[in-house]
Amino acid sequence: MSKFFTRSLAVSTAALLALGLAACGGSDRDGDTGTDTGTAAKGFAKDALIGVALPSKTSENWVLAGDLFTNGLKTAGFQSDVQYAGASTTVADQQAQITAMVTKGAKVIIIGATDAAQLSTQVTAAKAAGATVIAYDRLITNTKDVDYYIAFDNFKVGQLQGQALLDGMKAKKPTGPWTVELFSGSPDDNNAGVFFNGAMDVLKPLIDKGDVVVGSGQKDVKQTAIQGWKAEGAQSRMDSLLTSTYNGAKTLDGVLSPNDTLARAIITSVKAAGKPIPVVTGQDSEVESVKSIMAGEQYSTINKDTRTLVAESIKMVQALQTGAEPTVNDTKSYDNGSKVVPAYLLPPVIVTKANAAEAYANDPKLSALTK
Amino acid sequence: MSRFKELQKNLFGGGTSNARQFGMIFTLLAIIVFFQVKTDGLTLTSGNLIALTQQYAYISILSIGMLMVIVAGHIDLSVGSVAAFTGIIVAKAITEHDVPWPLGILLGLVVGAAIGAWQGFWVAYVGVPAFIVTLAGMLLFRGGNQYIGDASTVPVPEGFREIGSGYLPEFGPNTGYNNWTLILGLLACLAVIWRELRARQVRQQMVGAEPSPLWIAILRMALMVAVIVFATLRFAGGRVGTSFPISGIILAVLVIAYSFYTRNTSGGRHIYAVGGNSRAAELSGVKLRRVNFYVMMNMSVLAALAGMIFVARSAASGPQDGNGWELDAIAAVFIGGAAVAGGLGTISGAIVGGLVMAVLNNGLQLIGTGSDKVQIIKGLFLLGAVALDVYNKKQGKFSIVGALTKPFRRDEPATPAAAPVVEHVADDKTPASN
Amino acid sequence: MGGAPPLLEMRGITKEFPGVKALSNVNLVVGSGEIHAICGENGAGKSTLMKVLSGVYPYGSYSGSILYQGAETKFSDIRASENAGIVIIHQELALVPGMSITENIFLGNEPRRFGRIDWQAANRQALELMARVGLSEDPDTLIKDIGVGKQQLVEIAKAFAKDVKLLILDEPTAALNENDSQHLLDLLRGFRSRGITSIMISHKLNEIEAVADSITILRDGKSIETIDVKGEGADEDRIVRGMVGRDLNSRFPDHEPKIGEVFFEVRDWTVRHPISADRLVCKNSNFTVRRGEIVGFAGLMGAGRTELAMSIFGRSYGVFLDGTIIKDGKEVKLKNVSDAIANGLAYVSEDRKAVGLNLLDDIKTSVVAAKLSKITKHGVLDEAAEYQQAEEYRKNLRIKTPTVDEGVTKLSGGNQQKVVLAKWMFTDPDLLILDEPTRGIDVGAKYEIYGIIQRLADEGKGVIVISSELPELIGLCDRIYTVFEGSITGEIARRDAAPELLMKQMTSMKKLATS
Repeated sequence: MSKFFTRSLAVSTAALLALGLAACGGSDRDGDTGTDTGTAAKGFAKDALIGVALPSKTSENWVLAGDLFTNGLKTAGFQSDVQYAGASTTVADQQAQITAMVTKGAKVIIIGATDAAQLSTQVTAAKAAGATVIAYDRLITNTKDVDYYIAFDNFKVGQLQGQALLDGMKAKKPTGPWTVELFSGSPDDNNAGVFFNGAMDVLKPLIDKGDVVVGSGQKDVKQTAIQGWKAEGAQSRMDSLLTSTYNGAKTLDGVLSPNDTLARAIITSVKAAGKPIPVVTGQDSEVESVKSIMAGEQYSTINKDTRTLVAESIKMVQALQTGAEPTVNDTKSYDNGSKVVPAYLLPPVIVTKANAAEAYANDPKLSALTK
Repeated sequence: MSRFKELQKNLFGGGTSNARQFGMIFTLLAIIVFFQVKTDGLTLTSGNLIALTQQYAYISILSIGMLMVIVAGHIDLSVGSVAAFTGIIVAKAITEHDVPWPLGILLGLVVGAAIGAWQGFWVAYVGVPAFIVTLAGMLLFRGGNQYIGDASTVPVPEGFREIGSGYLPEFGPNTGYNNWTLILGLLACLAVIWRELRARQVRQQMVGAEPSPLWIAILRMALMVAVIVFATLRFAGGRVGTSFPISGIILAVLVIAYSFYTRNTSGGRHIYAVGGNSRAAELSGVKLRRVNFYVMMNMSVLAALAGMIFVARSAASGPQDGNGWELDAIAAVFIGGAAVAGGLGTISGAIVGGLVMAVLNNGLQLIGTGSDKVQIIKGLFLLGAVALDVYNKKQGKFSIVGALTKPFRRDEPATPAAAPVVEHVADDKTPASN
Repeated sequence: MGGAPPLLEMRGITKEFPGVKALSNVNLVVGSGEIHAICGENGAGKSTLMKVLSGVYPYGSYSGSILYQGAETKFSDIRASENAGIVIIHQELALVPGMSITENIFLGNEPRRFGRIDWQAANRQALELMARVGLSEDPDTLIKDIGVGKQQLVEIAKAFAKDVKLLILDEPTAALNENDSQHLLDLLRGFRSRGITSIMISHKLNEIEAVADSITILRDGKSIETIDVKGEGADEDRIVRGMVGRDLNSRFPDHEPKIGEVFFEVRDWTVRHPISADRLVCKNSNFTVRRGEIVGFAGLMGAGRTELAMSIFGRSYGVFLDGTIIKDGKEVKLKNVSDAIANGLAYVSEDRKAVGLNLLDDIKTSVVAAKLSKITKHGVLDEAAEYQQAEEYRKNLRIKTPTVDEGVTKLSGGNQQKVVLAKWMFTDPDLLILDEPTRGIDVGAKYEIYGIIQRLADEGKGVIVISSELPELIGLCDRIYTVFEGSITGEIARRDAAPELLMKQMTSMKKLATS
């Protein structure tokens, strides 16, 4: 036994020392303590890692954006790590993915947030590790560590949707009052409110005058919200509205829908109830919705060409790489609760059956549908 | 007994459930080594280990409670909803009603206890199966979360965020490490050595019991101390301002406390007795209802704590908090060797099971695997781990290691213990008759 | 043996498990149309032999040969043996409780017409089969709604649905009451008259004597001898000697009772059934126990003996209506099991696997389970104390195990029962209630358990023994109460106790006081 004792002791002591030394060598405290706090505006290697964290694959747009980022960053000479959050545990997944990107030493992290208010810890860590953080499409809130925001002008999107709704209804029934229902997006998505406010910017005066009537009386953003932008949520809300409000002779002239997925769900619900299809707005130019518009069901969508947005994002990355300041065009409007985030906004385009061919001329997949 | 067998039997204690743990620790090591190589050493960097701890502390806290629930023969599907419900109440109280955050934490625990009492009441005193009660709870408290929070995201202040994303302060001389973490590591080493010596002392008091051989005790001690030293230096050697995370400390304290409770007190024994054979337990004087009530209640309190830690780490309470947590916690418990029918399982097993899943998840993310594939791999892994174990049990064999090394071993099977075993084989449906 | 050639001949069967020979050179000859009993203690190899015969252990996994209907068989699985007309009925019945009698009889063997099950034909055939086994029930009745005895008959009917030639019954009467057992034995005789051969594995010597034509005795995996009952007669002593391998001068150890004063008394004990409110399971029961006395409770299964015992033990059965318990001159209220344990009561249940033990536990954990406070110091379990206590019981009760760290499932029935006894002795009880303490235990272990019971009584404790075996009660108890339909119908002192008298009291309401 005592032989074992001494031998084991010797072996374990040796192991301990070895491990200890290995660990000492691996301490992160040695070199990079001072550099962490500075902004990353000094440029970085041409083949640096760029992380892209996107929400779960619930809409075509995110899938497309992911592909565009992967290819675009590769073409630009960067390494890329493009991740989608899982379907059920979205927030926790995205947090872990961003952390992993930080660990891997990503120089720029582009984030399409699942819940824009729950990422501040990870963003702060990214910043501390020397990465630049770009909020893509959705503004990350409650942290001063977001560097840039890039998106389509969402208030403008809302305004265009409101206007399209009015135009469509006027085309069908020249004089009011028109009866409408309002839908808005997920309450945890910062943009949902912006869209809604933009639309109300156009509709409110008419509602106040009585030219536009909200049939159910549900005008508040909280009443109209669809959690998680889920199609089944919109469909079941529409089902209940039809049952409660449009059971009798009352006709529904228009529905303000914040995006295409919800628009199609709303149309499905109306069709199932055997009612005439009202004017329904949309956004995102999803394939099915473009088909629907060409078939005369959905009235409008918004073309926020994901290609342009991704291309502009990659341009930002390229600017950061050289150490230059990326272009921004709005340094006042986007206050995330901790600071005003410099933003680069792209203009959206409204698309109806009338201008579809023209609007999608550059898009091989969609232009085929408009012929 | 060959030396290998002896090692296998004694390194992590005897018993079948421990055998599974032994296999799992091996699996964990294999996964760590695999990803350490695949990620060019990123897996074991300070930053990654710290992040890993923070990411999984709340799931592991859940799995402590879940282990006890499962050992008692129940299940709790509501933990994610309870966490989210508590999270939004605490966040609202702190942010909108100016409750100081330490009081907010207390409030959260009280809310958790109240929910737990509600669920425990239905399970223990009315006799509704826990599956149903907590399925109802899952809906109830998810709805409650959305009702109270209007499905919106509510931020929490800096102080509160410490429990989820905070670190130990820096103090004392510049050693190149976080000194508090070093002190904790030293304490852990001393505790391990003390425990080992104490266990030997106890074993020696048992007349007739053979204590595990000295060389194994020393090897075990050395291994554990080595792991602790390594981990300590890693955690202490991260970026300035970081250390072993506060959420990790909360977890460690809970693991130690609950391990002690389940192993070394009569209350803990009662949970195993209820899960193993509730009628026998009842006829031995165990107050069945009380045990079931407290097990369910405890789970909700821990769920509330986990919810608050997640909110603190996310800096805000959101409507998607807690989605799918019950599945992670349950998976950890089963990978860690608990029996579906109850009565078997250990806290340390559940923690190891959780770690295996955590390292797997983290490693896959570090090598850039998409979340779709990560889910597929995790699903297959869960199935594989438990299936292998079931297979081994059927074969009367022992753990993954046993299976791997089987072709190379030739052990004499007829130990003195074999006689009653064989009687069992030959007449295995021992009659309740005469 | 008769002139007809034997139906079955097993020659030199040897079956080895890693490290042990479960069967070694066993020979078994079963004549056509006879009832052949196989006796042996637990672990003697009876079940293994039947598994070899029925193909559970396929050809090739054993050595020796099996001749069936004159030809050598090589069954590869249980299907093959069933196709040859060999059907084995295990003591754990293989019936689905939520299905009807018909559905169970034809489970996996449904009569089909054009691809769908022809339930009409099935019901018709089921009725025929049921008539053959003397079961009159609606074939649509669910299995869970009929008693164990009838379930057994369904199981046999199921065997007939498969055109059985050799019926093997493993402990068929183990769970049956006297009447059902009798019916089953009659049935076996009926089969014999119709030329069906049966093999019956049993512990119950009286039943074997009553029906068997020949008896083969196994011990330690060897066939000891085969007795031709017609020719030689079945001598109980000879069978027991064969099974145990030595003479048992007495089935009970010698004992001189040291009986003290009455210390435990139950008065007007009335309890109703937990579900049906109008059913009383104990009706105004009165009884007493003296220190150092072993008191027996005799009664048929379902008479209310267990219900009485459990309701006294902290109201763990039924709904308490009325009655008082007086212990050491003071009334005690035992509202739950902890109260009962605290007041020095212990109850060893009749079904040690279902309610007596946690089968996941090891021996030491089981021993201390009912009184953890005894090994708790400052709220912490003292593992050393636990081990030592268990070790002491291992030595005192001679529990056969290498260490007390061993799991209880690894023990034989007799040793498991000793662990249960240890568990309750550990609570330092004044009164032990032992419900069927020797059920499923072989002869040698029984003797030891009787010794333990007598020792407990000599220590001044009161012991209540509930048993279905009258010889056991008569041999062991100082006084016997008889129970019938929830009432205590008689109290009989040892000197007056005779099986006939007891049986009379156990089956009628007429009260008869002899002592």
